[in-house]
Amino acid sequence: MAVFGWVIVAIIVGIPLLGVALYNKLVGLRNQVKNAWRQIDVQLKRRHDLIPNLVEVVKDYMSYEQETLEKVIQARNQAVSASTPEAAIAAEGILGGAMGKLFALMENYPDLKANENVSRLMEELSATENKISFSRQFYNDSVMSLNNAVESFPSNFVAGMFGFSHATYFEVPETETVTPKVDLR
Amino acid sequence: MKHSLDNHCPECNAANRLHARFCTQCGALLKKNGQDSPRVRHKLLRRTDFMAAARANRTATRRLITLLMMILAILGYLLGWSLQLLMGVLPDNLQSIWFLSHWGVWGALGLFVFGAVWSWVAFSQGDRIVLRLTGAREVSADDEPVFHNVVEEMAIAAGISRPRLFVIETGALNAFATGMNPARSAIGVTRGLLESLNREELQGVVGHEMGHIVNWDIRYATAVGVIVGLIALVSDGALRSLYFSGKSRNSGKGGSGVAFLMLALIAFAALAPLFAFLVQMAVSRQREFLADATSVRLTRHPEGLIAALQKLAASTESFKGANRATQHMFIVNPFRNFTERTSRMTATHPPLALRINRLSNLGGD
Repeated sequence: MAVFGWVIVAIIVGIPLLGVALYNKLVGLRNQVKNAWRQIDVQLKRRHDLIPNLVEVVKDYMSYEQETLEKVIQARNQAVSASTPEAAIAAEGILGGAMGKLFALMENYPDLKANENVSRLMEELSATENKISFSRQFYNDSVMSLNNAVESFPSNFVAGMFGFSHATYFEVPETETVTPKVDLR
Repeated sequence: MKHSLDNHCPECNAANRLHARFCTQCGALLKKNGQDSPRVRHKLLRRTDFMAAARANRTATRRLITLLMMILAILGYLLGWSLQLLMGVLPDNLQSIWFLSHWGVWGALGLFVFGAVWSWVAFSQGDRIVLRLTGAREVSADDEPVFHNVVEEMAIAAGISRPRLFVIETGALNAFATGMNPARSAIGVTRGLLESLNREELQGVVGHEMGHIVNWDIRYATAVGVIVGLIALVSDGALRSLYFSGKSRNSGKGGSGVAFLMLALIAFAALAPLFAFLVQMAVSRQREFLADATSVRLTRHPEGLIAALQKLAASTESFKGANRATQHMFIVNPFRNFTERTSRMTATHPPLALRINRLSNLGGD
């Protein structure tokens, strides 16, 4: 019966070890989700910092577009002062739309694009816009990994025991999926 | 299909080993050998799984190092043994040339230790050696703002810290990645690439290199690069010792022993480059497809990489900075032998047309 004894020992030792490995994996995934969320915040903050600079530089060139610039600044301020995550998501959505419109309008001003400062700021801002969407993408990928682990066997047992829950996906706000309309008059 | 000596891939028509399960060129399943069994399907699935790719690369690197040390130990023994024969320092009761050579044991030990030290160097300095070999120069965010931003975007998409940035001052179009792990990695591009690609195309190329980083291809590729360099060095040494042993022939004892020694050295001189060649072949072309796919996963925009690969294919500028030890690390092989049929067995990369074709299929719509 020696073999049987060893099997018992293997089960007694093996199951806790597996549990530890799964627990650690879940912790890693949960931290990745948290970190990914923070990364989005970092990029949004960068966007907020860059916008006043851009508006400052372009406002001399785009004197006929005061309204658009106003809207961008207003949306930016609203996004900065948003207190709840839901409000922040909505405000960022509006800001994204306003920025898109501004970028599209700037195409009409060749001398604006020739300005060294403006082109540098434009590069920074479009890079930041990309980073925002890439960090959301990574956040959603991370959420998917965590949710898969929470739901699938055998990690769902460990997740249930230690209270690992689903994370929610970042849904792109309605306003941002609509391409900005440019009125060419 | 009747069994014949012909084993061409149905997808890309590349010639394959008779019992190969997967095409060497495009990785397609060769049905007549592989039968679409669950095991084979599982194997195929693993090929697009990043965690699995990373694991496989770490294992492959370990195997490569072990193999290197073993071969070095055997070579060391052979060298010591033949040297002992050559110098005529033989035991008294010698019956044949197959005796346990003390010099051989010392040689084996010596080269084994040398291999261990070299592996340590490969792991701690490999990326630096590769960067030195390619002649790349580190650039800052101020020097190359667009390149910097694009790399940072891709690093965010991949969820790793930003790799260091390098530029090679040449008009040729190419890019590479190196490093020992995702936390310590570097991406290098040529000046020509920065100048002729637009932002989206550059993003595709950087995404491809980011793919090599997150799949841990860089660790294996860097180890291969440094080790192939070492083999070239040792085989040069063998050739030289062959040359000198030819000169001091008269000091030898038995004529047959010397002849045997010469044979052994010639065999080694011939085998070492062959081994280097095999190691390079082990750099699977599959990795390039996987990195292309990773690029699309990161950018969600296959068109950028497709356009970039088309520009790379159209470029005729030759790249002097690459050598045998680093050629497999670039996004397209710098020696440009990938366009024609000649490359079937020796290529480190699949043909560009095939890669573009696969990316177009990924595009879907």
